[in-house]
Formats: sequence, C-alpha cells, structure tokens
Amino acid sequence: MDILARIQAASITAPCLAPQHHHKHLQQLCFPMSTGHHFSCFYMHQNHFPVAMPGHPCRIPSGSIRCQSGAVEAPEMQDVKFSKSMLSFDMGKDRLSKVPASQIRNFSIIAHIDHGKSTLADKLLQVTGTVSDREMKEQFLDNMDLERERGITIKLQAARMRYVAKDGEPYCLNLIDTPGHVDFSYEVSRSLAACEGALLVVDASQGVEAQTLANVYLALENNLEIIPVLNKIDLPGADPERVRNEIEEIVGLDCSEAIFCSAKEGIGIQEILESIVAKVPPPKDTSMNPLRALIFDSYYDPYRGVIVYFRVVDGSIKIHDKIQFMASGKEYEVDELGVLSPGQMQVNELFAGEVGYLAASIRSVADARVGDTITSSANKAGMALSGYQEAVPMVFCGLFPVDADQFGELREALEKLQLNDAALKYEPESSSAMGFGFRCGFLGLLHMEIVQERLEREYGLNLITTAPSVVYRVQCADNTVVECSNPCELPEPGKRVWIEEPFIEMITPKEYIGTLMELAQERRGEFKEMKYITESRASVIYILPLAEMVGDFFDQLKSRSKGYASMEYSLSGYRKSDLVRLDILINGEPMDPLAAIVHKDKAFAVGRALTQKLKELIPRQMFKIPIQAAIGTRVIASESISAMRKDVLAKCYGGDISRKKKLLKKQAEGKKRMKSVGRVEVPQDAFMAVLRLEKEVV
Amino acid sequence: MGSYVTTLCKEITSTLSQLPQASPLKTLFFGGGTPSLLPPQYLSRIVDTLDQHCGFQCDAEISMEMDPGTFDKQTLKQFLGLGVNRVSLGVQSFNEDFLKACGRSHGLQDVYEALDIITGLNVSNWSLDLISSLPHQTLEHWEECLREAIGLSPAHVSVYDLQIEEGTKFGVWYKPGHHPLPDEDKSASFYRLASSLLREAGYEHYEISNYAKPGFQCRHNMVYWKNQPYYGFGLGATSYFNGKRFSRPRKLKGYADFVELCINQSSDNFSANEEYLSFYSNTVESVEDRVCDTIMLSLRLASGLNLNELSKNFGHELRVHICKSFLPFINSGHAVAVDSKFKTVPPDTFSTALSEQSASKVLKDVIFIRLTDPDGFLLSNEIISSLFTDLPIK
Repeated sequence: MDILARIQAASITAPCLAPQHHHKHLQQLCFPMSTGHHFSCFYMHQNHFPVAMPGHPCRIPSGSIRCQSGAVEAPEMQDVKFSKSMLSFDMGKDRLSKVPASQIRNFSIIAHIDHGKSTLADKLLQVTGTVSDREMKEQFLDNMDLERERGITIKLQAARMRYVAKDGEPYCLNLIDTPGHVDFSYEVSRSLAACEGALLVVDASQGVEAQTLANVYLALENNLEIIPVLNKIDLPGADPERVRNEIEEIVGLDCSEAIFCSAKEGIGIQEILESIVAKVPPPKDTSMNPLRALIFDSYYDPYRGVIVYFRVVDGSIKIHDKIQFMASGKEYEVDELGVLSPGQMQVNELFAGEVGYLAASIRSVADARVGDTITSSANKAGMALSGYQEAVPMVFCGLFPVDADQFGELREALEKLQLNDAALKYEPESSSAMGFGFRCGFLGLLHMEIVQERLEREYGLNLITTAPSVVYRVQCADNTVVECSNPCELPEPGKRVWIEEPFIEMITPKEYIGTLMELAQERRGEFKEMKYITESRASVIYILPLAEMVGDFFDQLKSRSKGYASMEYSLSGYRKSDLVRLDILINGEPMDPLAAIVHKDKAFAVGRALTQKLKELIPRQMFKIPIQAAIGTRVIASESISAMRKDVLAKCYGGDISRKKKLLKKQAEGKKRMKSVGRVEVPQDAFMAVLRLEKEVV
Repeated sequence: MGSYVTTLCKEITSTLSQLPQASPLKTLFFGGGTPSLLPPQYLSRIVDTLDQHCGFQCDAEISMEMDPGTFDKQTLKQFLGLGVNRVSLGVQSFNEDFLKACGRSHGLQDVYEALDIITGLNVSNWSLDLISSLPHQTLEHWEECLREAIGLSPAHVSVYDLQIEEGTKFGVWYKPGHHPLPDEDKSASFYRLASSLLREAGYEHYEISNYAKPGFQCRHNMVYWKNQPYYGFGLGATSYFNGKRFSRPRKLKGYADFVELCINQSSDNFSANEEYLSFYSNTVESVEDRVCDTIMLSLRLASGLNLNELSKNFGHELRVHICKSFLPFINSGHAVAVDSKFKTVPPDTFSTALSEQSASKVLKDVIFIRLTDPDGFLLSNEIISSLFTDLPIK
C-alpha cells in the first residue's frame, strides 16, 4: 500500500490554471522540492543488448552499417493502422550516423503513473526497430529491479531512434525518459530541459491526475512543445472525448490535434512519430560555439567510473577531449563517448542537439551532478547552463545496524551508494541504546525508503531506522538560528525562543477532497482554498507541516480512499509552530532514539501510545520498570511493567541436564541480543515496533 | 521385557567389566517410564548383575519410582526384599478431576490403595510427587492438596509444575500462562504456598522442587545437583563419568545396537571401536560447560554455589567475576552470600568487598552464594541465564 501511495506524489503546487494563462503563471512557479539528485543503477549492464554490452563494448566506427532489424515483426499488431512498408527502414544508414540538427527531435514522455508511459516508450522502440521484438523486454526503460517491482521509474534513461518519416527523410529521435516521483522532480526538470518537446500521455479512461498537472507545468516551464496523447482508447471504459475536454479545461492545452492511441494495441503509434517530427522543434545548430552539454543523469559503474548522460546544447564533444564540469570544477579526459539506443553504442563525436553518454574515469557522481554543464577545457564556455541546484535533504533518519558488527559494512555500503547518489547525505551518530550508526538525509520519503531497501537488499544489512524527521529551525535566545533534524540535538527549552518547521501545500482533485480534508484536519492541516475549474472538477489546497507527512500520511490517504486518492505536495516555506521535545524514559533513563519533536497538542496522545507500546513489548524483569513520556522534567504519560514473578524450570529428570542447559544458554543468548538501557534489557523488536508506531503517531 | 532386561544387563556388564576397579554403589535409582511395572524376577537380575560387578555399600540408597495402580502389596514386598529401600510415589494430585487433567491413568482410589500398601509394609523412606499449575487449579485447590500430602507425613515431597510440551495434546490445548492454565503471578503464588506450608510442617526446602524431612534428602539426586559422576544404564539413560556426559539412544532398536557395539568394543574389535566412538562422539566437557553445569546445578540447591570449590576448579578470577555478577541479585534480595560460619554476609559488606581493588578478606570469607527461598528460586532461570551472559569465557 505505501509504495503505491507514494508513487502518486509528484512535486508541484498546482494552482488551478485558467486556460490560456499558463505561460504567465509558469513564471511564478517555483520548485522548492526540486533538488539536485541522482539515482543510480548498478544493474544496468544486465539489461542491455548483446550488441552493446558495457564491459564488452562493440566499437562501431561512425558511419558503419549497423542494423538491428530490417522489418517490424509484430504479429500482435494486426490492427495497426500503418503498414510495414510505411516504416521504411533505410538499411543503408543506421541510427548512429550523423544527422543535421534540423533532423533531430528530442522529446520525453510525461504521464501520471499507470497511464501507460512505459508501454508507449516500449512500443516506440519496437516500431522504429531500435529494439527488435526478440530483444523486447517489457518496460525496457525501467531498468532497476526496485523500479520494476514498484512499477515506477526512478532512473532516467534515453533512447536514440531512427525514423524515416512520411516526407522520406530520416530523423533521429531521442526519447529521454523521466522519473516519476516528487523526490526526483529536479531530475525530471533537467531531463525536460534537455528536450524540445514532450508527449503528454493521459489515460483515456481516467483523465487528468495530480501528477499529470505537475509534469505538464514542468514541461511548459522548459518551453517544450506538448503533444497530447490519449492512451488506452481500447479499454471499455475509455472516454477520449471527455478526457480531451478535461485536458483543455484543466491544463489549458489545445487538444484539437490530440492523438488517440493504444500503446498496448499499437494504435496511433505512427501518428505519434509523425507528430513528433512535425511539431517538436529541431534543436538549434550551434555546433560552432564552445561546448556546453547539460547533464541529465549519471550513474556509477564500478569498471568505468561515472557514466554521464547529457545533451549537447552547444558545440561538439569528441573522444579524448579534455572536459570540465562547470559546477564542480572537475576536469577529466573523455575515455568513451556514445549514444544510447537504448544500449550504449560508441561514437567518436557528438554535436549540438545530440544526446549521448560519456565515461571519463570519474570517481563519484558528486563530480558530475545532474544539472551541471560540461564544457571543453581548451575552449571554455562563458556561462554555464541555467537550472543547476545543489541537493538539499528534506527528510532525515537514523540508520543503525541491528548487529553492531555490521557498522563497518553499513559505512562501506553508504559510501558506495553515495558514489551513485549525490543527494544522499550521512554522518556518524551514536546512541547509548542503539550503538553506532548514521544519521542520513534524503530528498524525500521515497528516496529514504529506496536507500533503506537497497542497503538491506543489496548489501545484506539488517537495519533499525528511527522515525523520519524534518529539518527544524530554532531561533535561539542568543539570536542565532540552529537547524536541527535530530530531536536529541534540539537546544534546551531555556535557550529557545521559537521553533519553525517546514510546511507544504497539498492539492488534490475533487473526488478525494473529503478524504484529504479529513486526514489533513487530524494532522494540523490548514485549509487554504477550494477551486472549481468546471462543475465536475475542483481541487482543494491545504497547508500542512511536512513532519505530519513523513509518517504514514500516504498510507492513510490510500487506505481511506481505497487506493485511489492522488495528491501532490510542494514545500511552501517555514513557519513557527508550538513544538516540544518528547522524551521517553525507561526506568528513569532517557531513550535517545525514541525522542521526538512533536506539536504540543499531540504530545500527550503520542506519549501515551509510545509508553503503552513499550509496556507491551518489554518483557518483565526482576524489578518494576517505570516507562514515562516527558516534556523536559514534566511527565505526561506513564506506565509500568511489574516485576517478573516466576521463571523456574522445576524438573531436571534423571540427571539429564543437557536440555535444561540448552534452554538456559538460549535465554542467555537472548539477553546478549537485547539492548541495555540502564539496568533494563529491551529487546530489539521492541525498538523496531516503537519506531514503527512513532512513524504513525508522531 | 525379558530381552530388554537381558540387553540392559549386557550393557551393565560390558561397561563395568572394563573398569579396573568399580567401587561399591552408594545409590541406585530406578526411574523413567514406570519401573513399578517391572516383574520382580527381572529386577532381581538387574540387581544381581550390579552386585556381581561392583556391589553395594551397606547403607546404599535404592530408590524406585512407583505409580499408583501399577503394583500390589506382593510386588512391593518382593521389591523391598531385593533391596529397594526408598519409594517415590507419583501421586500428582489428591483431586480426581486434576488427576484426569494431568493425564494420569490412575484415579484417587488407586492413590489411597498405594499409600496403604506403602504404610502397610512399613516403608519409612518414601516420597510423594505433586504437580501444580494444572488447568483450572485455584490457590484453594492447591492448598487442600498440600495439606492432604502433609497429613500423610511422607519423608520427602517433590513439587513440580505442569510442563506443557510442544507436540503433545496438552501443547495443542493449552498455552502456558493463559487460561485455563494459571498466569505467571498465580503460578508463582502456588510455588510460594508450597514452600511456606511444607517448611512450616518441618520439611526442608533443600532443592528448587524438593522438600525433605531432616536426613531424608534423596541422596541419588544430590549426586546430579552436586555435579558428581554417575553411571547410567538403559534406554535413554544419561551418564556422567570420566568427565563425559552421554545420553543413550531413546529407541529400543538403537539402544540394542548401541549395547552390541559396547560389547564389541570391550573385546577390542577395531572397526567396532570406531563406531562405538561415534556413539560416544561427545568429548570431555569444555571448561565453559563445566562452569555452566556447576552454576546451574548448584544454584538449584538451598546450600548454593560453593565458591571454594569453584576457585579450586576454575581459578580465583572466576570466583571474583561470579561474585560481581551476583551483586545485583544480592542487592535485590534474590541471592545471599554466606560465610564460613554459615552466617549471611550483609549486601553492603559484600558490595564493599567487591569494589575494593584486591579481593579482600571479606570476599575470601564468602564461601557460598545461594538463591533465596522462595524469591530467588522462583527467578532462578533469569538469574542463572544472566550469570551465563556475564561469563568471561565465550
């Protein structure tokens, strides 16, 4: 449930737009959640074509003949409204050959989750012969295991296709895929910045969703030509006319030429290809200018160093060129240059307008960050491309190995992940109860969850995570402002003047207004406005502390709307709140990892829930154990675990002590696994359960 | 039955004949299953075999477990004639319903008939087993049961808790600590009641679940608790000698094969010797095991852990270490330190002695540490496992 829930979040405040005014509005949009970030892919080479395996690179001299498939074999496409001959692959030229800028089209696909983006991308690759049917793997663009499992795209990739249009000319089409989640909206915006056009895919049976809006605004902000595509028209519930009107009304796009399509059935694919050629503007031919290339993705390859994906904006780049990354200032020599089709295929040179990849023995993705500009060391560009942002973590949590011996392994795993994920921040943290671990910063909740899952899955670590926390700003009496994400580091009440916390704005379409309002009301939400776009379409905007959302907000939203609700959020800034630090004490000892920053009005309920849970989970011990929740010295909730009464094995039959000894040794082993808090032994799973509960109630 | 006794006697012969000098037996215990069903002529064969190979000390304690309803006066008389001088009667309860509940085949009538037989034959050293924490049992029921037992004036009483084993029908029906079984608090109160009533009636609570009138402690079981060596013969029996613990096969076929190997081994057959060793694959107990055995067994006794013996066997450092581990339990009243004059060492004195750099005279004076009755006994598992956790050896 939570995975699905989070997929639907994308970052934008989407005030409802009146048609025709969107460009004006767009200039006012800001994307505070958009932060530099890269998500990696270790698995990439497993999914590539045999023709271009990294590690076994197939060196193909530029201009040589290279053909994947001469004909489209698509028995399932009998209804396809175009003939095979119309696709007319030119056997004499391959998709690596140089094309004039006027024949290049760079585009991406933007869509709400499940509206068929991946299926359409697959179909485009297939129809243009970029991937043969034999090689076709479903959802080709989603490479990473995690993505495939969750059905979401974190990883961006690109594919260069060759298409001979109706006008008889061969075109080079570059599809640049975008990730689909709020945490990665910066990546989305950089990918879009690398394009001139975008397909807006909307499910003809579902209509416009919150995420559709978010991505359309990003596309418009980047001045992209948008081609509306109504997908899944083959479904019984499809109502393309209604959805077309909806797009016009809500998004304000002219949909008179919207394409009706079924990516699954292959309907409308050729119209889409023709429309891309006809409508998406070609890149400007600025090959003569000094090199400027926009990085829209990078990942770490253990053998070749960081692989950088980029779009050449100006000039050209050649193999063995000395290049510089303008934001990081780092210089490297290009070892390998190529295009993605969608496997990596090497070329010697790329020109303005083209999309490609390079390897230059770069040690860490931090040196070649998404949004950075590549220029030539010999002939530097005067100014970097605009839009670069540093990654700013929004959500923090502590990660501790369950087994203290795994601390070293955890550190190594984080180091490796960071090679690939410049947005991941961490620093060592230690606690009396949890031992040694790390405090980690993430772009958002999905990012956090993915990192945790990868640490556990790929590195075999068993982790305890503390409840996620946001960054608070504390105005201190000495007139300084302290930023703090760890409750334990919150300045003492006497030293604080006030605490500010980050707030977000949420928006949801009409159907879910009730659910969202109910939930937001319980979580310190503040109603901002309700807007009616048409009689049937409305949306509500709520202001809510981010801290209220880092728990189980999405899970709740989904379960209360039977899985349907979609909402978007974006940071709206910091505000003062009446916050306190809630401490949990076991036998008088504070339990640092369980401390939380909560709103004063909720402290009592949270304190009671946590103390009750601990009472349930801590086994009786030889003495009575008080469990308290306190704000400063004031105890606001209290429970106690009565002393153990009886733990004795009566019989020791016939001198057979082995079984009894085994039991006692097992009991002794169990004690070793418990964390000692003062004299109290707390089982590991009690910690876990309370931390889980904390995520729900704090 | 006959062939089993033959096999058993073979095992006794092959084991004892290998020993250069087997000293006369001080105690002998027939237990496990229902030995009272054994026809006297078989018992005679076993006792004769033992007598042949090692003999008995003149005051040897020879115990037999007997279940009500499984023997008559004639049988017991013959047993006594063969040397049995201590009877342990598995009464379990003086309530018809509870007898059924604890899965016994005998009824209350059988219990009183058995008691008549024992008293009729003037057996003075007899013991009575009781089970507490039965389903639906209340503190009142339990008190009645204890008073009935005390009224019969046995020399020895054993009190056990009903133990629910997984995989048995009890395990399916009942969950420990959950209704209808008593919860932990209630079960503890049963234990406390037994301890106070039996001690009031002149019984010494000499071991966690055993009470005896002065002079009537079970000498055989004391061997186990004092971690002293003993032989074991027969199906599933355990033994401890030459520093090795060994459990015999629990199935008849396996046991017979094992005895066959024992015989071949004693006749110096090399290949059989290999197999024999695989049966005896257990090596001499490690130091850690011996320390654990010493702690867990001695703390079952009212006399407690003998620290002088501990340092003699395992070194002075361990003595200091264990004393430190005991400190919280001594402070909480679950254990007490006892000096050479059998006087209790006050917790403060004990604690001060420990905090001093060198082990002081006070610490040397502490000869025993024992668990208190009933507080320490009731939490013995918790205390023993904590001591295990603290042990300096891995």
